[in-house]
Amino acid sequence: MDAVTYPNLDVIRFIQGHVVPVRLPFDAKPEANDFKVKWTPTLIILDHDGGEHHRITGFLAPEELLPMILLGIGKAHFEREAFTEAIRSLDALLKDYPKSDSAPQAIYYRAVSQYKSTHSAEPLKEAYQKLHAEYPSSEWTKRAAPYRLL
Amino acid sequence: MENKIEWETNLRAAIARAQDDDRPVLLDFHNPN
Repeated sequence: MDAVTYPNLDVIRFIQGHVVPVRLPFDAKPEANDFKVKWTPTLIILDHDGGEHHRITGFLAPEELLPMILLGIGKAHFEREAFTEAIRSLDALLKDYPKSDSAPQAIYYRAVSQYKSTHSAEPLKEAYQKLHAEYPSSEWTKRAAPYRLL
Repeated sequence: MENKIEWETNLRAAIARAQDDDRPVLLDFHNPN
């Protein structure tokens, strides 16, 4: 991360503009125990109350780190039922990083956010169709499979 | 704009800043060795 991802100018600008970055050693006490950290790097998105919403363990290239952060922001909004804000973050991810590993999960959560805010099942079915067509081997395509029947 | 990330090194301070700025926190556990 220090050799490739964090020196990247796009990463620097994005992190400084979107999140409060904090870095701790893997054995920091009590935090490493509180977050059950077993390997590095472990990256976690927290809301501003300290609640965890998304985590990734292992190296991420710049083009994967930025969508991972957007996904975490989207999930943080989703989990506090701020669906409009969740959809906005996930749309930004899908617009700028459609080929990233985070994209299928973003499609899934975007559709669920739409469903939760409108109670229409159509976004769920459309999400499955998009996942099936564009990300056929994704675990999120499998998780959305029941929506094909809606 | 600095040409490096300005990391907080205290989680409590980072959360306080996140509340002030209404932003989430990116918490990175790393191996400094």
